[in-house]
Formats: sequence, C-alpha cells, structure tokens
Amino acid sequence: MNVHQFLTSYSYGDAIGNEALEIRDFLRSQGIGSEIFTLHFHPRYANQVRNYLEYDRFSAPANTVIYHFSIGSPVTKRFLRLRDRKVIIYHNITPYQFFLDYHRILAKDCFKGRLELKSLAGQVDLALGDSEYNRRELVAAGFKETGVLPLVMDFAKFDLPVLPVFREMFADGKTNILFVGRIIPNKKVEDVIKTFHLYQAHFNPESRLFIVGEYRGFERYVSALRELIAGLGVRDIHFSGHVPLAEMVSYAKLSHLYLHLSEHEGFCAPVLESFHLGIPVVAFDAGAVGETMNHGGVLVVRKDLLGVAGVCHEILSRPELKAAVLAGQEKALEKYLRPRTGKILLDNLRRLLP
Amino acid sequence: MEPFIRAAAEINVEEIMAAIQKKIQDKKDAGLLKQSEIDEISEMELQPLPDFLEIPHIYEPVLYPGFTENMAPPAALEEAIQETGLAKGVMKKFRGLLYPLIRFMTRPLYVELKTGILDLQKKVPIILQSSEYVRLLHNAMHNMIVEASKLKTEEEILKTKIRFLEDKIEFLENRERALEKKLPG
Repeated sequence: MNVHQFLTSYSYGDAIGNEALEIRDFLRSQGIGSEIFTLHFHPRYANQVRNYLEYDRFSAPANTVIYHFSIGSPVTKRFLRLRDRKVIIYHNITPYQFFLDYHRILAKDCFKGRLELKSLAGQVDLALGDSEYNRRELVAAGFKETGVLPLVMDFAKFDLPVLPVFREMFADGKTNILFVGRIIPNKKVEDVIKTFHLYQAHFNPESRLFIVGEYRGFERYVSALRELIAGLGVRDIHFSGHVPLAEMVSYAKLSHLYLHLSEHEGFCAPVLESFHLGIPVVAFDAGAVGETMNHGGVLVVRKDLLGVAGVCHEILSRPELKAAVLAGQEKALEKYLRPRTGKILLDNLRRLLP
Repeated sequence: MEPFIRAAAEINVEEIMAAIQKKIQDKKDAGLLKQSEIDEISEMELQPLPDFLEIPHIYEPVLYPGFTENMAPPAALEEAIQETGLAKGVMKKFRGLLYPLIRFMTRPLYVELKTGILDLQKKVPIILQSSEYVRLLHNAMHNMIVEASKLKTEEEILKTKIRFLEDKIEFLENRERALEKKLPG
C-alpha cells in the first residue's frame, strides 16, 4: 500500500506543509511509499513535491490519498475523482469575515472552502481533524467516519543554537515577548500590540515585542498595525517578516514569554513549539487553542488586555510561577510527541484496510 | 476581578488574579492609570487602507440612471399660451379697441412671455447639447477621482513597503554591527 498526500499549497515554514513532510518521512520510515502532490509550492521544495496533476500516473485503488484540507481550491475536484481510498485531514478554514477588509480573494477562497467541505462529506473513507474542535466541525458538515490526528510535528528540528549575532542584538537585558504566525487579521496582532503597550507602559518599560511571521499579501493589514503602533506611541516592536528556521528559533530562545491572542485557530502549532523551547505561553482560548494547550501554559478566556498584561508581568517577575507554567507545558507536550502521533496515524490508516 | 485565565491545577489562579488586581488598583490610586485610558486602548479599531481593486469605475448608467428615458420632451410652449375659442375672439376685439392707447406703452406681459418662451425654445437643442457635455465632464471627473483614489491607495501601500524595507535595512545594519563586534581582531 502506498499513502500519498494532496495539498493546495506548500509554503516554506507553513505548519500544514511541515506536517505533510513529517507524515511522508514517517510513512517512508515504516516502509510505506509516499509522495506529496500540490498545486502551489515554494521553490525551495521543488525537489520534494510533485504537481497534483501528475497523480494519475500513481493512482491505484489499493493506494490511500490523504488530502490536507484548509481552503477551497481546484485540488478538491481532482481529489474527489480519484479511485484511491480517500482520507482528509481537516486543518480548519478561517471564517471568511476576517479577510473581508484586507484580502477579498482569500475571503472568497475561505468561503468556497466551507462549501467544498460539505461536498466532501460522504465522498471520503475517513475524515480526520487535527483537533477535537476540527473533528466536531467535520461531524457538523455531515462526515460519518471521523477521528482526531494531532498535528504530526518534529520538535527535534527546533533544537538549534541561538545565532551569536541575535544574542548580541537582543540579549541586552530587556524582556522579550514573542508572537509567531502569519500576520493576518484572524491572529489579532493588534491585540498583541495593545497588550504589549499596556505591559510596557505600566509594568515593564524595558521590554520588546518580536512579531515573527510572513506578512506578504497583507501589507494593508500591517500598514494598519503600524498606524496603530504610531497612534499608541509604543516602541521596541520588531517585525521580522518571514525568517529561516534558525532565526525563528533564535527569536524564540531569546524571548521570555510567548503571547498569542488569535481569535481563530484550528490547531495552533506555535504554542507547542514554544512549549518545546521552554517559553511560558499566554494564549487566548479561541478555536482549538485551549485543546492544543492541553492544560499547559496560561489560557486567557476573556480579553481583558490590561489583565493579560498583568498576567504576563506575574509570570515574568515570579520565578516560581514561571517554573510551574513551564512544568505544566512540558507535561502537556507529551501528547504530541512524534511516536504517539505516528501511531495514531497508522491506526487510522489501518481502519481503511479491508 | 473575575478570573479570566485558566491554568494547570498546580497554579493558583485566584492568587494571581488577586496580585494583578492589587497592582492595577495601586496604579489607579496613584493616578498612573485611568480606566478611560484602558477602555480607549481596548476599543481602538484598525483603519485599513481601502483596497484599490474594490474601487469601481463609475460609468454613465450609474451616474445617470434612466436619464435619457426620463428626460421630458420640450413642451409645446407656444400652444400653451395661445388663447382658443371664444376667449380668443373676445380678447382680440378687446385688444383692438385698446390698441390706439396701448401702442405707445410697453409691450403687454403675454407678448413678453411669448417672445421669451420662443427664444427659450430655440435654445432647447443647445441646452440639450450642453447637458450631454456636462454628463461627459461629470463622467470624466468621476473616473479621474477614482483613478486618483487608486493611485493614493497604491502610494500608501508602497510607502508601507518602503517602511518595511527601511526597517529591514536598519535591522541589517544593526546585525552587521553586531557581527563586526563578534569578529576577532
């Protein structure tokens, strides 16, 4: 049996693309043939993936095709026509309303994605969500056979040293707060900025905010964020843009706290990456975030921005509290270690065998 | 303060909330923090630039819906002021009697009106041509405003991109300096 994967886009540093790569490597390590087929891909991965239109050469009824579904795209139509066994991994679709003011094409694709999800119901052999939150959405969309497969992640790749230059630049005694993710409206970066402003103004003037993530395509959103920063008069906010893994790890390792106030997440990988890197996490309970945090870190259930700034201050100024948060995070992370998620994947694939 | 956080069982959330509340209250009492300031910050909305792709061109049908269809035909003005029937005969006789007197006076109002209306009627085609010209100018002006808006939005986006690049350059300069410090010698 071969298990191949379909996805719409394979971007550099993207959680879904990374998972596809992890699944492929894991399956190959189990002696199962596996390839990745995609519509768009980053040039860096040109030798790792194939065009999805090439799949006809590989298609066979004994094969299983996993489709990573997160947005409406022409890949769905091709996937539905396959004679192979079909599995979808649903990563959730951001509600289109978040993009109406900033990216109408993406808003359209997200809207279309929700319709396509319904069209997939009854057409696939198994539908997996990477969180219970996503699985519940699958059930609501009409899928009968469902399950949960937590994001398959390789945490070992984050075990990199801090770049000496970064240490020279940012290890200057200031308290560094980190946000990682695409700079898009549902991530509510404005709330992170406002909270940081309150933290800097009322708790710790010697602090800095790293906003690490891709913003291309969302220049108007970032422009509005910059206007907000100017309006608040907040300083020491650093937008890194898209950075290589070594730099991302350096930012993270030089940070003292991870702050995530997104209002829609289907899983939220950066939270787990921060758990692994030993950074205390304060995150807003939206979508699957609470479930992903698995009782680790500090979960914000109501957006009281000054209160959140106060929580950050408490964690950063009380070593015993920070240690307790980190201990909780370490325990929470066990659920996501690769041998465990790999076993869940194989168990689910076995469910499909006659 | 109602707890707005959840954490592992080992962490005393109530105690954290009490500590935060005390610190905030102390700052408020010292006049360093005002509730109105916090509310203002929380309620600040982002002001996104308009998407120039979403600014439509405005063409004549949008500006003048049903203009041509609803345009009233020129009224038969001459007919409107003509007396008819019995009134016409009586008025003619009456005017004939008074003519020796009124011939040395200004022209009667109805004659003035009639002359004016006839003049206006002659101008109707010119007015219609002018209105067509105004419509064209109006369209042109609208489209120029649309194009100017698009250019303005594009300019703002380009400015944002330049600011990103400036930040990037500044960061790279800092990085370069940090690297130089790390180099031996």
